[in-house]
Amino acid sequence: MNKIIYAFVSLLSLAACILSPLLYFLGKLTEENYKLVFLIASLAWFIFATLWARERKKA
Amino acid sequence: MKNRLSSITSRMDKLYEFDRESVSQAKLQSGGKFAGLFAGEHVAATEFVIGAFFVLHGVSARDLLIGLLIGNLLAVLSWTFICAPIAARTRLTLYWYLRKIAGPGLTFIYNLANALLYCILAGAMIAVSATAVGLAFGVKTPSLNAVFPSSLGWVLITLAIGILFIILAILGFEKLSRFAEVCSPWIFVVFIAGAIAMLPRLGVHPRLDNLWEIARTKIWNGIPIAGQDKFSIWHIIFFAWFCNLAMHVGLSDMALFRYAKKWTYGLYSAFGMYPGHMLAWICSGVMVAAVGRQMDPGLMAFEAAGLAGAAGVLFAGWTTANPTLYRAGLALQVITNWPRWKITLFAGLLTTFLSCFPVVFMKLLDYVAIYGLILMPVGAIVFAEHWIFPLLKIEQYRAEKYNWLFNWRASISWFGTLAACFFMPIHLFFRWLPGYFIALVSYVLLMALKRK
Repeated sequence: MNKIIYAFVSLLSLAACILSPLLYFLGKLTEENYKLVFLIASLAWFIFATLWARERKKA
Repeated sequence: MKNRLSSITSRMDKLYEFDRESVSQAKLQSGGKFAGLFAGEHVAATEFVIGAFFVLHGVSARDLLIGLLIGNLLAVLSWTFICAPIAARTRLTLYWYLRKIAGPGLTFIYNLANALLYCILAGAMIAVSATAVGLAFGVKTPSLNAVFPSSLGWVLITLAIGILFIILAILGFEKLSRFAEVCSPWIFVVFIAGAIAMLPRLGVHPRLDNLWEIARTKIWNGIPIAGQDKFSIWHIIFFAWFCNLAMHVGLSDMALFRYAKKWTYGLYSAFGMYPGHMLAWICSGVMVAAVGRQMDPGLMAFEAAGLAGAAGVLFAGWTTANPTLYRAGLALQVITNWPRWKITLFAGLLTTFLSCFPVVFMKLLDYVAIYGLILMPVGAIVFAEHWIFPLLKIEQYRAEKYNWLFNWRASISWFGTLAACFFMPIHLFFRWLPGYFIALVSYVLLMALKRK
């Protein structure tokens, strides 16, 4: 179960990393907000992708 | 001398003992594994520099796109038709196959050359990472033509990063490899996000109606900056093709493809060439154009994606320098017989010293060409022995059968080819191709003369 949650959240954060510059390009986000979202989503990716990788290794 | 060399080669054999046997059927890997491996391996710190250099060398947008499409296709075909078939038939690494062909002495020289070339490459990765860390401390990146360190700050930062990389490499290569696995999809995203975020600064409309116009006039505008020679479509085709020359034509990726179920798995290298190299080089081109054509990967990524972008450059350098340091250490270990930590420390210190010199990344394109060129003749020698000798009924694997320490004919062919390439009156990027045929033909002729 944990594995699925970690996988889902890590992929979601990677998607946020891609979406934030797109929204900035389209004028829906300011530059500061885009960079903040990108930073937070990146941190989330590192945390959850590491946990996901650990679960995969256990399995 | 001969005894010393024999002892070195026997240590070398011991070190590579684990991959001496051919890969068994049960250990063969699926195509998906190869796709993932290539996609992850070909987005490195150096991509920030390569794509940016294409802009600085004044390549036009049309030449860039067509050149990258063709050049990367040629690279994929080289993996598919040159490297993968030999690996799938022999199921051996290049090390063991070359040993049968060229003898342990020449294989040792190949290893040594490889180690030194790896150290320089890792040095370039450290220097690229230093441009990101330097931002935080206000240290300016050296200028494009700089050979020697431009400031004490630059030296201190490269030394600090180099030492940090060495400590981490000594503490645990495996843990870092796992970290690199987590890093690689994200680094790829940093390239894409950075390029998208820089489009408004270049004046691209959200409707994208002027994208091609901006690409043609503001990014790849066909005008080189002062001091850089102009690149044509041929430079791009050849660069994209030879960027991994040592791996495909030079056959060092036999280590990977010996696990392939079929030789056609070479086609999976396209996952590294198109979403990897091609896209990353285009993205870094966009980023450098948006920062006023300054060759400063740290600044490019920071401006494009903030702190996360700068971290992307640092991590890209770290995750690619780490296995490079490991490989260099492995290759050097046979000469000294030192323990792993000691040799990693030695290779790391050499690499760190090299990274202080900005020339290692400011002349990266030339270095990549030289790296491939030096190792390419070995690929030609192995190709000739594997495919051409049976056709011409020349006896194969004589070094192994007659216990030659050195196959002198292979040595003459290798070093003679390098000498010929050195004097060729053509651009460095184009020399490897005639060089390959010189190595191939000279080796076949020399070995045919020794036919019984």
